Amino acid sequence: MLCHLARKAISGSEDRGKALPRWAGRHISRCEACREHARFAASLRTRLAGDRAAFLAAVPEFPLKEVAWNEAGMERKERASLGRRLVLRPIPAAAGLLAVAAAAFLVFRVVPREQVPTAGDRAAARAAFKSIVAAPDEFRVALTGAESSLEKEKRIWESSVVSAVEYLQARLNIRIERRDPPKSL
Amino acid sequence: MKTDEELAREARAGSRPAFEELALRYKRRLFVYLRPRLASDQDTEDMVQETFLKLYRNIDRYDPTYRFSTWLYTAATRLTISSYRKKRIAAGPLRAEEAGGVADPAGGPPAGADTAGLWDSARALAESQFRVLWLRYGEDMDVAEIARAVGKSRVAVSLLLHRARMNLMKRTGAAPAGAMAAAKPAAAGGPTAG
Repeated sequence: MLCHLARKAISGSEDRGKALPRWAGRHISRCEACREHARFAASLRTRLAGDRAAFLAAVPEFPLKEVAWNEAGMERKERASLGRRLVLRPIPAAAGLLAVAAAAFLVFRVVPREQVPTAGDRAAARAAFKSIVAAPDEFRVALTGAESSLEKEKRIWESSVVSAVEYLQARLNIRIERRDPPKSL
Repeated sequence: MKTDEELAREARAGSRPAFEELALRYKRRLFVYLRPRLASDQDTEDMVQETFLKLYRNIDRYDPTYRFSTWLYTAATRLTISSYRKKRIAAGPLRAEEAGGVADPAGGPPAGADTAGLWDSARALAESQFRVLWLRYGEDMDVAEIARAVGKSRVAVSLLLHRARMNLMKRTGAAPAGAMAAAKPAAAGGPTAG
């Protein structure tokens, strides 16, 4: 088990370029097989780099089909000259339209229009208007009533202020005088 | 000599000779990378052609902040997977007679193929292990770059590399004498614990 972990640590240190953990170093110093593995892993870079040229030389020679690149080059040039175009994709567009229509049906509802007023309705409306205009006295009475209630309110408010002033004068033994009588009151 | 990234930048600016130079540099390397995944040399050659065609078509999308090799191997991996799904290419183990000079050490090293040494042994590994090993030691990529190129996580790539090393060591037997010199000096040997 320790050998397995130590060999993983050796591989990890080879890949990351970091030093071996101390425990792995101690194990390697005791274990011949792991020491062998460490030597092998350390030698791989040099050995494989040395063998690389011979290995590549053994690959069968084959020509590159450069003629096909011409077409690819033309395609690339065309693409570059055209730039990017906005293309309508029919299926997503139709789906979007359907979704908008469905949403519109959900939000709005169809209501029948009100009927156009008939000649009789118009005559009745005119008569009602005339009856209102023909009764100005009733309006005047209503206005007087409104004014009188306002006067009453004003009187109540004035008496409240006067009694408050009297109370303060008596309590604090002072005299309060009105400097300028308010215009509105 | 221009770097791959300089050539890729020139190719992106419209230089056809720069792209041709890149293709010449990488065609054999790409072949080696793709071969274990495909059934025959012919399929592999076709895939190499398709990969370069795709790259040439999309060279204006190359991001110079990344290495060109990472972009190339990523495109090749994706194209292989996509082609595999579309055409149902029958993947098969590499056979010496198909591979020409590229040997299959599982069946014994063929004559004249011993110069490639350890890489020949590596060809007998599982294809995913061989591919990460090639990118790590053949292309000098780090784990993050390999993960991007093969479309796997870093942890998965680290695990594949570990397994590749273990299996390669098993296949080659004990470390050869040449390896001893390159190895770190080990402490004095004690009793075998593993």
